[in-house]
Amino acid sequence: MGSTPFTSRRDFFARASDGLLGAALLQLLSDDLYADQPEPANTINPVSNYDLRPKPVHHPATATSVIQLFMNGGPSQMDLFDPKPALAKLDGKPYPGSVEEIGNTSVTDIGVMMGGQYPIKRHGESGMWMAETLPHTSRMVDDICLINSMWTDHPNHDNALYKIHSGRLFMGHPTLGAWTAYGLGSENQNLPAYVVLGDPLGLPKNGTRNWTSGFLPPVYQGTPFRPTGSPILNLRKQYEEPSAVSATASAMLKQLDQIHRAERPHQGALDARIESYGLAARMQLTANEALDLNRESSETQGLYGIGEPNTDSYGKRCLMARRLVERGVRFVQIFLEEQPWDSHVDLASNHKAICQRTDKPVAALLQDLKRTGLLDTTLVIWGGEFGRTPTSQRSGNIYTGRDHNMQAFSSWMAGGGIKGGLSYGKTDEFGHKAIENPVSVHDFHATILHMLGLHHQELFFHRSGLEERLTGVKIPTVIHDILA
Amino acid sequence: MPIRFTTATLMLCFTLMTAHGETTGIVFETDIKPLLTAKCGKCHRESERKGGLDLSSMEAIQTGGETGDDLLAASLEDNALWHQIESGEMPPAGEPALSEQEQLLVQRWILAGTPSQTSIMKTRELNQHDVLPILLLRCNACHGPRLQQGGLDLRTHADMLRGGKSGPALIPGDPDNSLMIQRIESQACPPSESLLKFFVRRPSSAEVTTLRNWITARAPIGNVKPDVATTQADPLVSQSDREHWAFKPPRWPDAGNSLDDFVGRKLIEAGLPWSKPADRFTLIRRVHLDLLGLPPDLDDLKRWSTSTDRNWYSKMIDHVLSSPRYGERWGRYWLDLAGYADSEGGISADPLRPVAWKYRDYVIQAFNQDKPYDEFLLEQLAGDELVSQLQPSTVTSDTVDKLVATGFLRMGIDETGSRTMNFVPERLKVVADALSVVSSGLMGLTMECARCHSHKYDPIPQRDYYRLKAVFQGALDEHDWSSFKQRKLNVATKEHLKRIAETNPPLEKQQKALLAQQKRVETELRLNLLRHHHPDQSDADNQTTLKALKKADNTRTLPEKKLVERLQKAELVPDSKQPLSVLNGRFQSEQIRKKLHRLRQTMVPPRTIRALWDMGRPSPTYILRRGEHDKPGPLVGPGVPTVLTDGKTPFEVTPIKSAAQLGTHTTTGRRLAFARWLTHPNHPLTARVMVNRIFTRHFGAGLAADPGNFGRQTDPPSHPQLLDWLALKFIQSGWSIKAMHRLMMNSRTYQQSSQVTDQHQQIDAQNRLLARMPLQRLDAEALRDSLLFVSGRLCLTSGGVPDAVSVDRNGLVSVDPSSVDPSDSFKPNRPDHQSPDDEYSGNLDQRSVDSWWRRSVYLQYRRTEIATLMDTFDYPQMGPNCLDRSVSTVSPQALMLLNDKHVHSLSQSFANRIASIIESQNLENDHRTRVNLIYRSAFSRPANPEELELGTRTLNHLKIAWQGDESKALATYCHTIFNTAAFLYVD
Repeated sequence: MGSTPFTSRRDFFARASDGLLGAALLQLLSDDLYADQPEPANTINPVSNYDLRPKPVHHPATATSVIQLFMNGGPSQMDLFDPKPALAKLDGKPYPGSVEEIGNTSVTDIGVMMGGQYPIKRHGESGMWMAETLPHTSRMVDDICLINSMWTDHPNHDNALYKIHSGRLFMGHPTLGAWTAYGLGSENQNLPAYVVLGDPLGLPKNGTRNWTSGFLPPVYQGTPFRPTGSPILNLRKQYEEPSAVSATASAMLKQLDQIHRAERPHQGALDARIESYGLAARMQLTANEALDLNRESSETQGLYGIGEPNTDSYGKRCLMARRLVERGVRFVQIFLEEQPWDSHVDLASNHKAICQRTDKPVAALLQDLKRTGLLDTTLVIWGGEFGRTPTSQRSGNIYTGRDHNMQAFSSWMAGGGIKGGLSYGKTDEFGHKAIENPVSVHDFHATILHMLGLHHQELFFHRSGLEERLTGVKIPTVIHDILA
Repeated sequence: MPIRFTTATLMLCFTLMTAHGETTGIVFETDIKPLLTAKCGKCHRESERKGGLDLSSMEAIQTGGETGDDLLAASLEDNALWHQIESGEMPPAGEPALSEQEQLLVQRWILAGTPSQTSIMKTRELNQHDVLPILLLRCNACHGPRLQQGGLDLRTHADMLRGGKSGPALIPGDPDNSLMIQRIESQACPPSESLLKFFVRRPSSAEVTTLRNWITARAPIGNVKPDVATTQADPLVSQSDREHWAFKPPRWPDAGNSLDDFVGRKLIEAGLPWSKPADRFTLIRRVHLDLLGLPPDLDDLKRWSTSTDRNWYSKMIDHVLSSPRYGERWGRYWLDLAGYADSEGGISADPLRPVAWKYRDYVIQAFNQDKPYDEFLLEQLAGDELVSQLQPSTVTSDTVDKLVATGFLRMGIDETGSRTMNFVPERLKVVADALSVVSSGLMGLTMECARCHSHKYDPIPQRDYYRLKAVFQGALDEHDWSSFKQRKLNVATKEHLKRIAETNPPLEKQQKALLAQQKRVETELRLNLLRHHHPDQSDADNQTTLKALKKADNTRTLPEKKLVERLQKAELVPDSKQPLSVLNGRFQSEQIRKKLHRLRQTMVPPRTIRALWDMGRPSPTYILRRGEHDKPGPLVGPGVPTVLTDGKTPFEVTPIKSAAQLGTHTTTGRRLAFARWLTHPNHPLTARVMVNRIFTRHFGAGLAADPGNFGRQTDPPSHPQLLDWLALKFIQSGWSIKAMHRLMMNSRTYQQSSQVTDQHQQIDAQNRLLARMPLQRLDAEALRDSLLFVSGRLCLTSGGVPDAVSVDRNGLVSVDPSSVDPSDSFKPNRPDHQSPDDEYSGNLDQRSVDSWWRRSVYLQYRRTEIATLMDTFDYPQMGPNCLDRSVSTVSPQALMLLNDKHVHSLSQSFANRIASIIESQNLENDHRTRVNLIYRSAFSRPANPEELELGTRTLNHLKIAWQGDESKALATYCHTIFNTAAFLYVD
């Protein structure tokens, strides 16, 4: 249609009647829907405050994007990262303190002390502890900052998940990713700012609420990319239609909307809507390209374990995450189905199985980000919603797993300005409670925001007369000790 | 040295002497008091105590404020006074700060041990209210209103002394030999196995010490009266606080007797002219979508567009207001305010609230009947206290309505039905949500912050929050809690019971059979999946897989997990690669699910009501310091925010003899008293807040910009006199909401065009002066309902069990689709203007269930399964409610309308409907007729010649592209119309 806008409907039809419209219509048959729209920054409605255009940071950032490898279910800290020889010594004996301190269900289900389930060694120059079930991640320890003194406020999955994602124990609050998108916008207007890569085996516990925008405008919620087929819901037509039909329909829509818009000057909302159709069209191209792993070398695919039965699924998502971050996506989350780390029974074999699914892809992601230079500005976060107890737990008549533990758990971060090779914080002799440099979830969030150039107090949203913040009312602490 | 016991003992003994060891010579009276008076006295003096704090005397400082913080601690770290000064928190911005020298003086005074001239030694004696909160928290579950284990009740002092089977709970003066102390210290109580059963935690050591000290002091009752409003002036809120416009009753303005008078005056001041009136078609569409959430049908469009009556416009408004579709639109706004949902939320399982819909129907009916707003509020806040008689034989539908109405206070997110989430803090969250809905929704006051501390900006002391909490304590009592499974009342009219008995038994039988069939089909389906995709897997393994599915996933053994994963992988294989047996099985299972749902909708609804009622035995209400459940402060009684009163008027409560079937003989009467206060014509906020809400919906923005906050932090209203005038008109009309619609919509202001001129843009881009109407986007409901309506697939049956949704494996949540070929589903869909007034819509015509969809207000709103179309177009999260929906414009909306299968299939229906209209009315069967009909249906106006020309041309192109298929060409055309801005926006 060219770039000359119609100034009025009369103008439009004047030109339609001189035959121009017919020609233009034909030309549009080969055009993408609204593909000739000017760049988004020029057309987005200036009235709307809530958009994804890049926003200024509060202070210089060390990380521009985040990949969160969320380990739903609660990995066991004492078995994987935080060895406790005392546990092995007391293995099979009762817990020496009051059993009511342990566990979250009934005291009658609490078993006896359970030693670490895997051989665990120091690795790298830093000598960081890591179990032998994580052979690949072990090789990356000098890029990793391991926090052993995380703690949270609730021993239930639901609440602890809300807490670790949104800073509150209850549903309805925006997640870290949503706050990040709200605070920073996106560097790529053709892709969502906040992308979620779910497991083909199913949604995690709490489902889509793990990436909700809560009370923030929905534009900041996580967009789940579907693990198979077309990555975004309705990205492709869900019905059959010849392409010539689609093209004619697109042309007609564009004409009608331009007439409608031309008759209504100063209506920013209409520009925004037209732009949203433009983005939809661009996203159809960009999203497919971003997620097309065939564009990666077989060496890279092999690195991530793509093609191997255990690692194929997680490896693909890790590689997609790298491709998305590369294209300016601000926040990527990878979830596992349900809560595979939640090992109330058979902890040794269960944890090993998940390590086999994730260890190689996770290490590959770090290595790949590092070699492409992206690790300098990409913060990778690994961890779950809580840890596990030093005692075993009864399930039926067997005692082979551990219960939930909100008083201590381990998470690690890498890249984006974190201090590699550091093991931070300590737990008591059983790994039951954080006792040195404890890191609350609010501290954890404040630190991540800090790396992204956002100040936890300056990032807020007005709601019912309150200034709502990710980190709540009480002022959190940015853990400067773990920053490079 | 000052002698001081720890605060935990609550034996607060202070000795403050002049003869201080290393005296600096600084004393309170001469050095500190003048300073505090000058810099802090404005807000913290005897007659005005912000945050409950008075800094004018040593005694008052020692008493402290609402936080309970120690202001006399000798270390700077612990001293709250110092903390406030040092952090710059106080004095607040805008008030003169302490100079460096003054700060130093305070610092030295604190470090010297806060010396004062007169030596005061004051001991606060413990009283029963130091221990009752502890007993409520730790012992009440077994020794309170619901259970008296061992015959022991610990709710009152007398009960404790009377004791239970084992003797008195305590021996005054002898804690060691008091059973209470012995049981607690040996951890016999609360018993280990009961901790989770009753959601109790053990008392802390500080709490035990308090119990001991109280018993040592011979367990004094003390003389503490609940803090309630008295005839004395309230020191926590000043007269100047009451001066804010919204806290004073509305007054008739000196001049002005119509909405336009007030708007016109401001326009003249700003030099803006009125916009020209909108054309007739625009007005018809605007009024219909505004009041009904649906465009006019073709007959109505014709009728109103061709009417020669001079008063056609106001007649149209009357006509539209009488449609039962009106309540479905405007009731929905109220459901947003109440935070309506069909599930509890909070936990993953997100359990359904099976009969929450009765409240939804109550609201819709109230709007349709134009129930006076004051009555509407009375019923929702205190319906149970209005029901005085409740004999099964005399239950009327009015009784039922009043009880259903109390569902208003039961809408919040509530996880207390969970196995592990029913502790006092979680219950307090539920109470807080209910209070938040009441305060922001009905009063335009944000009181939530006062749960933890006095409001920062508005004169709402923390005390007032807890007084309001006490109003609800009779029904929402965190120490006497009915979790959501116990909130049922079984109350129904005789006729209703009779219908249940007549209709349901055979249906229940069918239901049982279907459930069994469903189980069989699903088992077989899984086995077929396994047999096909894992042919080598043994039968035993297959059986183990089925068994493992019944276990929680975290209790499956590794082999079980692996087997389940194999099944999951088989389930994920795309349909094209599934054997016929699997596809058949899925189809069957889907059919059974639908049959079950249809059966549920066919049954006469159960007599169960989800209600709230006063139990007549409220536990005492304490201010919770910093909002923490285990930090009780002073005892308070019921009351209303003092800033909305003269501060000297006690809140009068009369206990009410009430219905025996509600489990009590006398209710506290507190909520009824509150509701009567709230609906008093002199109330400064109730009417203002409601008319502002109505105004907001009609004009796109409120006179007061934030419908949920009329406090001091918000901009003053754009037209304060108009707001007052409307509020008083509202009351004068008998609180008639429909009268307000007429008043607003018949105005010249409402009938203006929405065109924005350069002048508008320069002078008033935000349109605060109303020199034009706004362009508004359809909200989620209006969009979905319009799509269905225009396509002839909207079923107008109202009320009853909500319509189910299905979630597919991609997370797409769709409303259960029709199983009948859409091509034959056309049915004239003229809104039925004779109110059917069906009490229950249980008997949905089977055909209509199969063929069409009902209005969006009747969808099942499970918090975790919101239909994708609704969610995409900004259906809000109810947390706890939604006072103002946001409008986003994002690409998933475009993708939804362009690519979604369901929307596409509706466009085929739309096309079929157009074809059938042409046929049935013998119209010219050409493109121009089609285009015209489509424009009239979708845009509520005829197409002009140019548009007819463009439409004809496009239809020709489309026909070629569809290789001659005219019907498909028309469907594509209709689909494109659905995607236009003209369909989505209202001028």
